Amino acid sequence: MSFSSSKQTSYRRKTSVDPLDPKTRKKKRCPFAQANFKTIDYKDIDTLQKFITERGKILPRRITGVSVYYQRRLVAAIKRARYMALLPFVSTI
Amino acid sequence: MKQEQANLYEGMYILNAHIDDATRQKVFEKIKADVVKHGGEVVKIHDMKKRALMYQIGPHREGHYYLMYFKAMPSKINEMWREYRLNENIIRFMTMRAENVLEELKFQQLTEQ
Repeated sequence: MSFSSSKQTSYRRKTSVDPLDPKTRKKKRCPFAQANFKTIDYKDIDTLQKFITERGKILPRRITGVSVYYQRRLVAAIKRARYMALLPFVSTI
Repeated sequence: MKQEQANLYEGMYILNAHIDDATRQKVFEKIKADVVKHGGEVVKIHDMKKRALMYQIGPHREGHYYLMYFKAMPSKINEMWREYRLNENIIRFMTMRAENVLEELKFQQLTEQ
């Protein structure tokens, strides 16, 4: 019953868990908010690297679940790290 | 007229990795001396060692990174930049306002989910 029913009913059915159903699957939480980050530092490459693809592109927050507040800071940090050649602008696979 | 106040800055410098240690030290001493010359004060220095650049900058494929926290007058930063640009052993530099001094280059970890 997970896919079929109208929008309203599936929204109300909070108990059923279907990983493919966007309405019932577990909500992503912002990893930075959970770890209580104060700021995101451009020197912290290990953390930044988790939010870029192997091509070097910044991952959208719809995939990573980062909140707007931290995504803005993350993007700024990644761009600074790129300028200092700590992260690639583009990398060939 | 408002009195100009000194700010805390952090500067990151990529120096040529293909010069010998003594020359590189001299280049960095020059950077430090510039801060003092412009009435500033060096607070903390991190030697981030040699590392590969993620992309080629001119002929360089690797660089020696330094991070320096210093206090200086905002109006002097531009003069410092002019001197950095004239120095061909400085591959790249970035100066930013800093809130606080990092005593160690350690960062908060993300909690595994």
